[in-house]
Amino acid sequence: MAEVSKGIAEKWGLVVDQDRCTGCNACVVACSMENNVPFTGEDNVAFGRGTYWIYNKRMWEGTYPEVAPAFQPVMCQQCGSAPCEPVCPTFAAVHSEEEQINLQIYNRCIGTRYCANNCPYHARQFNFEDPNIPEPMNSYLNPDVTVRRRGVMEKCTFCVQRIVAGRQTASAEDRPLRDGEVTPACVAACPSDALVFGDLSDPNSRVSQMAQNERQYKLMDELGTRPKVTYLKGGGRNGG
Amino acid sequence: MKHKKPWWKQPGIQIGAVLVAFIVIGGIIGGIFLTQTPPEQPIAFPHNRHVGIGASCLYCHAGATLGPSAGLPGIEKCWGCHQQVQKQSPELTKLAGYVERNEPIPWVPVAIQPEFVRFKHSPHVNAGLQCSACHGDLAKMTVAEAQKGQNMGWCLQCHKSSAPEQWTKLSDCATCHY
Repeated sequence: MAEVSKGIAEKWGLVVDQDRCTGCNACVVACSMENNVPFTGEDNVAFGRGTYWIYNKRMWEGTYPEVAPAFQPVMCQQCGSAPCEPVCPTFAAVHSEEEQINLQIYNRCIGTRYCANNCPYHARQFNFEDPNIPEPMNSYLNPDVTVRRRGVMEKCTFCVQRIVAGRQTASAEDRPLRDGEVTPACVAACPSDALVFGDLSDPNSRVSQMAQNERQYKLMDELGTRPKVTYLKGGGRNGG
Repeated sequence: MKHKKPWWKQPGIQIGAVLVAFIVIGGIIGGIFLTQTPPEQPIAFPHNRHVGIGASCLYCHAGATLGPSAGLPGIEKCWGCHQQVQKQSPELTKLAGYVERNEPIPWVPVAIQPEFVRFKHSPHVNAGLQCSACHGDLAKMTVAEAQKGQNMGWCLQCHKSSAPEQWTKLSDCATCHY
């Protein structure tokens, strides 16, 4: 991959403030609703076949009786140098040059699951079954997102349908995108403002400012994946 | 010793070849009939006549500049004109029937994208693309007909030739597939 040596182009980025996260899981619910993530049921989750594009990792810190939970929402890190991309034999896991995110092209995917095996963040989920959506529930499906069928890998897209819609609205109104105009569903749902989304290529955007915080770290940065998601280390000040 | 027929004169091979030819030709004819003929509409809407009197596409398909779907006219829009313009014809009687029963007309969509393709009308129309570039010359059709050869290569061909400076954006998978 030639772009590694050139440095990674920055575009969309997410900041997760672990001091603010209360572990309410609203992001998980909002994501499932926005992106038609199927509910696989109790048995499949027990088999490790549950589908979540974002999950909240809970860790207990301290020793009993002084234990406190720490929360870490984990979604696809949209790596600049993604381990999932070079292993895909059908180019279903591709890098978006325009949005600088990792994409999963569902109609190309043949379900080899190499990408999920190569992902260090457990961000990719496989559809082991066709989605089971009984009659009145199909009304909740988002028409902007494909309903994935069996045998297809899926993952967080930074709600690319919202990014594209925002981009097209802005261009129809002949103006650049404003900071905070495009928000993924998890960011929009977060009640404690722990998730902040924006354009990393703009040094004045809120997300760029927050990503320079002294508490910042990247998940498994030592692997050289260059994630677009920045975590702000929690000090146990706000429940998280 | 009995002289052996060459393989192409063996009766089994010949009958098999005829059967295979029948199946292939039947498949081709059936496929063309099922996919290349326009679907039957509840009212045989004469596009040619409406375009011929100068009606703008956007008058009836008003969503094309605003959103993903161009939209279909409801009975109010049809009846807005046809209340005044009432000629006796079986198709207009059907329209009057829908208006009387206050029922939406169950138009059958013709230009359909696959489920994994996110086509939006507004960026295309706002970029100045003519409707006929994709939908064909409606002035020569009665009911709308699906156009041939509209695959991804065709999309990309137009994206490449009409805006080469935006090729990164217009060739990005996420522009149409998500």
